[in-house]
Amino acid sequence: MHEPNKRVSFFRPRGSTMRGETRVIKLVMAGWLAAIAGSQFFVWFLETNHSALLLNDYTFFNLPVHFWLTGQFLPLWFILLCILFNIWMDRHAARSLDGSLRFRIRSGERGD
Amino acid sequence: MYNPPVQLVPLAIVAGMFALLIISGLRTGSRQTSEYGFSGGYTGRVGIGAAIASNWMSAASFLGLAGMFYLKGYYAMAFVVGWTGGYVLLLVLMASQIRRFGKYSAPDFVGFRYESEVARTLAALISITITIIYGVAQFKGIALLLAWIFGIGYTPAVVIGASLVVSFVVVSGALGVARNQKMQYFVLIIAFILPLMLLARKLGYFWLLPQFGYGAAITDLQTQFGFAWSEPFSTVSLYQWLALCFTLMFGTAGLPHVLARFYMVPGIRDARWGVVWGLFFIALIYWSAPAYGVLARLFEARAGFPFNSADPLAADMVVLTAARMAQLPAWVIGLLAAGGISAAFSTVSGMLITGSASFSHDIYPRLIRPGATESDKVYVAKGFFLILAAAVMALALKPWGMIAEIAALAFALAGNTIFPAFLLGIWWGRANAAGVIAGMLTGILVTFAPLVLGDAVPLIGTLLPPTASAFIGAPLVLAVMVAVSLAAPPPSNGIARFLARDVHDCPEEP
Repeated sequence: MHEPNKRVSFFRPRGSTMRGETRVIKLVMAGWLAAIAGSQFFVWFLETNHSALLLNDYTFFNLPVHFWLTGQFLPLWFILLCILFNIWMDRHAARSLDGSLRFRIRSGERGD
Repeated sequence: MYNPPVQLVPLAIVAGMFALLIISGLRTGSRQTSEYGFSGGYTGRVGIGAAIASNWMSAASFLGLAGMFYLKGYYAMAFVVGWTGGYVLLLVLMASQIRRFGKYSAPDFVGFRYESEVARTLAALISITITIIYGVAQFKGIALLLAWIFGIGYTPAVVIGASLVVSFVVVSGALGVARNQKMQYFVLIIAFILPLMLLARKLGYFWLLPQFGYGAAITDLQTQFGFAWSEPFSTVSLYQWLALCFTLMFGTAGLPHVLARFYMVPGIRDARWGVVWGLFFIALIYWSAPAYGVLARLFEARAGFPFNSADPLAADMVVLTAARMAQLPAWVIGLLAAGGISAAFSTVSGMLITGSASFSHDIYPRLIRPGATESDKVYVAKGFFLILAAAVMALALKPWGMIAEIAALAFALAGNTIFPAFLLGIWWGRANAAGVIAGMLTGILVTFAPLVLGDAVPLIGTLLPPTASAFIGAPLVLAVMVAVSLAAPPPSNGIARFLARDVHDCPEEP
């Protein structure tokens, strides 16, 4: 029977691969959540504490700032987060492969 | 009585586009083996991305989002963020892990991971319900476009649309047509963006990148015609906006036909990079769709139309209306119509086939006729396909909202049920059958409670808007799954070991 503490869990990762992966997932998720909630609280803050006209007067790339921030920037930010995640995963996979190859070569030498 | 004329040029373009897709599908079918052998690296990833985007693009993206923007302004941005942000969840939490399970469908995954036939059946029923709801949105889009092309009413257009979808599936199946998704995406994106560029050019805006050019149109609407959409959170609260946005994200990572892209991808690394390309291709549509809504408003303003239009049917057709009001050439309008119909057709036919396969594979041989042969299952799949198409058609006769709103209900159901089942199934080894069954049942309750009790109990309607219930629903279902799982015996050692060793590469422990 697997002991409860030996079952995999996102918050109690086992082994270096899973630990590294969960760490980077937490970072990406933090960036994802902060951008969505942060941008909307910013828009809401501008609307409620300043003139709503301010939102339409501020333009960025030709668009009112809240349209640009939400409609243009956030999808771009998501793409960027995905790229960063993939780069990290590729490097991590390469390191793991490298480690496992060295391990196999060493054990092969011992066998000889 | 005035009968609008049949739009011959658009009709010819629609027929031509379908002929092109079928012919390229025939070639894809015969080439597929060699292509899998040699595609890889850069081309493979772009191809996977185009397939993800093509699989994703439906009437909700092609028609619904622009209509939502036209009618509700900034509120529609919740759809843009929800339908792109969900791919981040999908990539980091599920994409590569799902493939390691080696399963073929959401019910397969749930049945295997939770070692429960009940959970598998429940997941199959949920998948079929999602198919029906999502299908209604597609049928509505198809019917609106066919009604315009043939100059007929909405109701006969729904019936014709349903007949065409069934015929399309039968003909494709008989000819052995494989979906050339890569080509389909590029045809769709051209059909969507080229007319937009011509619209922006006609109005004198920055037409090379109309995704930015429409900002000037917003200013012109305000300064010249005194029209502005309401302030972001004046008619819709911040809570409602965020609830819709997160519901769509959870739903994206829980929709069975979206997850299906990742069960059998050739390589994990290519699949991950394919998601990035897919997200970029999808974002191209969502960066563009709001522009249609804004430009349609501007054309209406210039023509002296009042700004009080709140007709959801008219709003869902705004992409086409803008092109018609700009008097773009008939072939351009036909291209738009063909793109919309093609997007809706491929989505709904794929979902109906998956739904009927789910019934014949997961429900029929287990609940109705144990010991059914393979040929029985094929017959049942065909019969259930027709039943599903008829059910979707019947519901589409009286749609309960705009295309994007109908689709959002399917996302809410997926976000409240399949998403938590997959999330804990992958990331928590203690999650078990009792937990997932309780969780999915709670998810069904949460999804449909606002529709049934929303009027009687205003608090439910406020906290759980029908299209946005997964914001509270998904965390609630996760909590139920954790509590019930802890109260029930843990899953078998075999599954615990599989999850640790094969899914998460954990080292073996003594």
